[in-house]
Amino acid sequence: MLFQQTRVMIHASLASLPRRFALSASMALSVALVVMTLAGFLAMAKGFEVALAGAGSPRVAVILGGGTNQESGSAIPPGALHALSALSGDPGLARNTAGDLLLSREIVVPVDVADVKSGASRTLALRGMDATGAAIRDTVTLTQGLMFSGGRRDIVIGAKIARALGLYVGDVLRLGPVDWTVSGEFSAGGSAFESEIWADLEAVRAAFDRQGEVQSVKLRLNDPMALERLQQYLAGVAETPLVAVSEADLYAGQSARTASLIRLFGWPLAGLMAFGASAGALNTMMSSVSERAVEIATVRALGFSRLAAFIATGVEAMVLALVGTVLGIGLSLIAFNGWQASTIGANNARMAFDLAVTPDVMLSAGLIGLVIGLVGGALPALAATRQPLAAALGGRG
Amino acid sequence: MSQPDTIDTLLPASPVPESLPEPLPDAPYIALENLRKAYRIGQQAIPIFAGLDLAIAEGDFVAIMGPSGSGKSTLLNLLAGIDRPDGGVLRIGNSRLDQMGEGARAAWRAHHMGIVFQFYNLLPMLSAAENVELPLLLKPLSRRERRARVERVLDLVGLAGRENHRPGMMSGGQQQRVGIARAIVSDPPLLLCDEPTGDLDRASADAVLDMLRFLNSEMKKTIVMVTHDPQAALYARRTLILDKGRFIEEARAA
Repeated sequence: MLFQQTRVMIHASLASLPRRFALSASMALSVALVVMTLAGFLAMAKGFEVALAGAGSPRVAVILGGGTNQESGSAIPPGALHALSALSGDPGLARNTAGDLLLSREIVVPVDVADVKSGASRTLALRGMDATGAAIRDTVTLTQGLMFSGGRRDIVIGAKIARALGLYVGDVLRLGPVDWTVSGEFSAGGSAFESEIWADLEAVRAAFDRQGEVQSVKLRLNDPMALERLQQYLAGVAETPLVAVSEADLYAGQSARTASLIRLFGWPLAGLMAFGASAGALNTMMSSVSERAVEIATVRALGFSRLAAFIATGVEAMVLALVGTVLGIGLSLIAFNGWQASTIGANNARMAFDLAVTPDVMLSAGLIGLVIGLVGGALPALAATRQPLAAALGGRG
Repeated sequence: MSQPDTIDTLLPASPVPESLPEPLPDAPYIALENLRKAYRIGQQAIPIFAGLDLAIAEGDFVAIMGPSGSGKSTLLNLLAGIDRPDGGVLRIGNSRLDQMGEGARAAWRAHHMGIVFQFYNLLPMLSAAENVELPLLLKPLSRRERRARVERVLDLVGLAGRENHRPGMMSGGQQQRVGIARAIVSDPPLLLCDEPTGDLDRASADAVLDMLRFLNSEMKKTIVMVTHDPQAALYARRTLILDKGRFIEEARAA
């Protein structure tokens, strides 16, 4: 019988919503705003993580030197390079048909690039690499033009950069002291690589006066377990301490810091907004209870239980919060999902990424919307059970 | 009106016996003894009743009149178990309402009384049938049984065919008849009416009062009606005048 009482009270409560349209809509909209805010921040963090996670492969080892775990500041001494080239046996490293290791020596130089449309300057990562560099990496596909040629001032540009800057194959771009020709464009599954410009190692060294310099070495592994054997090998051969990490771990580490920072801003802001929205929801639901005081008192006077009044008021709050949550998530999907943002990433260069409103983002943002309904509805629901019947029904004599 | 004697002949029997235990021999159906009630505003207690006595026999139709502030509505609220006395005895049948908690009084209301409000107190978003059905939701009846009862009671109050009409689509008199249908649909022995004609024109008021008289005379409902309207009081068997928390006069219908 409680079920029937509750069902009728919920029906009466929800059916009366149009009478309180403005207040109910304001509650739903405030919930939607909180959900959108949080979804925006979480989508940003998620998009950043996805971009960096996509860049890192567990089958690529990155060797860094100089006691750093980032490419900027890393230096691989020539002796270590010779030792690597002379590596014999089968520690699980991939080799080409000639028996040479699939490795790429690389340096990253931050360069200022002017936007073709706006003229505004932005700092991007110019990566000098061996010819094997692109082949070592997973997911990299040349979508237009040709790969850079050895010794020439050719560059291939990531798809995100090409879109953002409006660059095409054949364009000439001034990077540092010299002009470069765009020979091709590549995609990399939307990962951070698409924010980079790639060129021949020797050409980059020559243009930026970095002869002989190598910041990192990328090695293709036959299987991810080979990394441990490589680490053991490096511990014995180099005069300078070298570390080998998987490319996946390297980028995951970078993404974790920035993503945490984004979330660190996002959650408190959403929390504060949620607090305000809860107060708004409380106000809305108190008004609802107040407006329906006679109706609630009437059914209680007929013998309906307090619990039915409590549940019905709570359900109304949750329904409004749910409407706001669905609206917020829907608008987030439309407004944020796939929206391109950029930030200063590793190597002090700008990294572009797409905001990602993923299911876990929707779940987190949605939960906060429902919590607002729960918090905002609890006290009014209690008030619905506590209102004195005689006063609510009104005595006139 | 030539109608059957009790609503039970109109309605299917409830699967669960709901009749009150037999009252004590010769005891009035409603008994108030030394009833006390005061309202508090801050530290100040405003006495409404300071020892009210009243006896109403089963099957009686009593009108209670009096000026505003005399305690009429408070008395009705106490009889309905909506409010609780501060002291004294409040017995209906053999139920001591003064000794019941709120939950028990709510359950008692669901089974033993119907209430008719001045402003009908219908839920505006529910149809007439849904409004009338409300008290039946507190009883172990199937949907079909509930629907059958609702249809018959709406027919009884002259609203057959208006089942799906919402209160906003009805006149005041029709709404009050829905209110009466709601009050009697579960066949309670006691009807409490709070200014049932206070919001109606004369013709509608007379129709409602005819209905109440019919329920009393033909269906043996005990009715207590609070009213300001001397014309309405003429329909009752007894009229009690309440003033400053005391009954000061009693009149019986000729």
